[in-house]
Amino acid sequence: MSTELGLAVKRRSATPSSGTNIRRDHSIKQVEVSKLVDIDLCIGCKACEVACKEWNDLEVEETHNFGSYQSHEDLTASTWDLMRFNEVELEGNDIAWLIRKDSCLHCEEPGCLLACPAPGAVVQYENGIVDFDQDNCIGCQYCVSGCPFDIPRFDSRTKKVYKCTMCVDRVTNGLEPACVKACPTGSIRFGTKEDMTIYGEEKVSKLKARGFDDAVLYDPEGVKGLHMMYVVPRGEMLEEYGLPNEPTVRGASFFPVMSGLRKLGSLATWAGLFGAGLFFLRTGRRFPPPEDEALASAREKGRETDMRSPGETDGKGGERS
Amino acid sequence: VSVRPEQESGVLRYSLLERVVHWLVAIAFIYLMLSGFALGYPRATWLYDVLGGGQTVRFVHPIVGVAFTLGVVLMLVVWLRDMAFDGSDRAWARDLPSYVREGHSRVDVGRFNAGQKGYFWFSVATGVLLLVSGLPLWFPGLMTGGWNQLARLVHHALFLLTVGGFIIHVYMSTVMLPGTMPGMTGGRVTRAWAAWHHPGWFRKQEAGRN
Repeated sequence: MSTELGLAVKRRSATPSSGTNIRRDHSIKQVEVSKLVDIDLCIGCKACEVACKEWNDLEVEETHNFGSYQSHEDLTASTWDLMRFNEVELEGNDIAWLIRKDSCLHCEEPGCLLACPAPGAVVQYENGIVDFDQDNCIGCQYCVSGCPFDIPRFDSRTKKVYKCTMCVDRVTNGLEPACVKACPTGSIRFGTKEDMTIYGEEKVSKLKARGFDDAVLYDPEGVKGLHMMYVVPRGEMLEEYGLPNEPTVRGASFFPVMSGLRKLGSLATWAGLFGAGLFFLRTGRRFPPPEDEALASAREKGRETDMRSPGETDGKGGERS
Repeated sequence: VSVRPEQESGVLRYSLLERVVHWLVAIAFIYLMLSGFALGYPRATWLYDVLGGGQTVRFVHPIVGVAFTLGVVLMLVVWLRDMAFDGSDRAWARDLPSYVREGHSRVDVGRFNAGQKGYFWFSVATGVLLLVSGLPLWFPGLMTGGWNQLARLVHHALFLLTVGGFIIHVYMSTVMLPGTMPGMTGGRVTRAWAAWHHPGWFRKQEAGRN
């Protein structure tokens, strides 16, 4: 595992031409990193949850029993990592106990970033990490609507949105994310995207050899791949794991329309302003004629109106009676 | 020199109430337009700084939006009768090319011409639709995912339409037709202006005075 240190920014939200790569050879990129969650090895111990809370110094939230092994019912603004437990009955009196680490998947095509209207509130680094910069967040929650995995959470006290940072502060200093370090079985792994993909594909073929015919490496094309992939033994049950079969940026079909509308809008606005200026230069200001002329014209029009509708009294012209 | 009522010249075009409602809507609209550009266009995000920061804009924009729509509703109440379309409006619309050329219609126009009426009803319609399409953006929990993006799209499209209307409205009332603006500030216009642009309404005013 080797990652280049430092953070080059790939994209910033609401920032035109946000690429900053000045390297002469654009093929020399910062190494892309990825987590990989091998669900086959996960024992549901929640050490990753604790490590996440601890490293990120997040408030501890009281739990309650709601009939599940799950610690909390849902992610919150200060719970960025949650083990989700789902029991599914299978044919023949069998049961599948599905356990999945739920946290930000760091999409290569991040719906949160694309939806965000605040410059620099969402940043995607060259290494693949998608991070929120709360200083720039305006609290509109468009990212929540844009995320296909329902990850970002709004905090009503700070009026900002929070999620897993992939421990970007650790990663830039050559360390693995806290959840990876805490995992006792090696279920959560961390490395280059390339290495993790190789590991994942090998693991999938091993699972298939063991009879998990539908095992998959979850790295969906709809979001151009993930920087937290899953090895899913029961690939036929993605939805039951809480993983969308074909995730895309929410409302993605509206994005091209929106961007077209933006272009049209700015063009039309400028055209309108220039058009008004040109119209002015062509026609100038239209002063009313001297008072006696204007009055004569008004009286003349009154006579014409009266002739057309004889019953009407003077002064009703053009008005509803 | 103090100006006593009998010394005031010209014709009363807009009552105090009408002017208050107009400027309530106008000021709200200008804020909404500027903050809307910031929210909708990455290249206009510098407007966040002018308007007190992004978080402030996000907080204030919807509230001003409600004020705007309330103002529009007031406007509807105040002007409903005068803004009803009638027979002369068809003639005015037919005469539109010469109105654009000359800045003056040959039709015997009443208090408002068909263009003003059209802009009024356009403002009422967009004012209501902007609030409706803005609600899911104000409270993102109301709808999920793609619906919010659709609401954004609709809100943006309506916004652009109003910007177009606004440019025309401001150009015509300040630059193109001198003498119009005093009607909306002090309330009075010259007799020449009134007789020239709104002859039917002017005759009625004169008849009422005598």
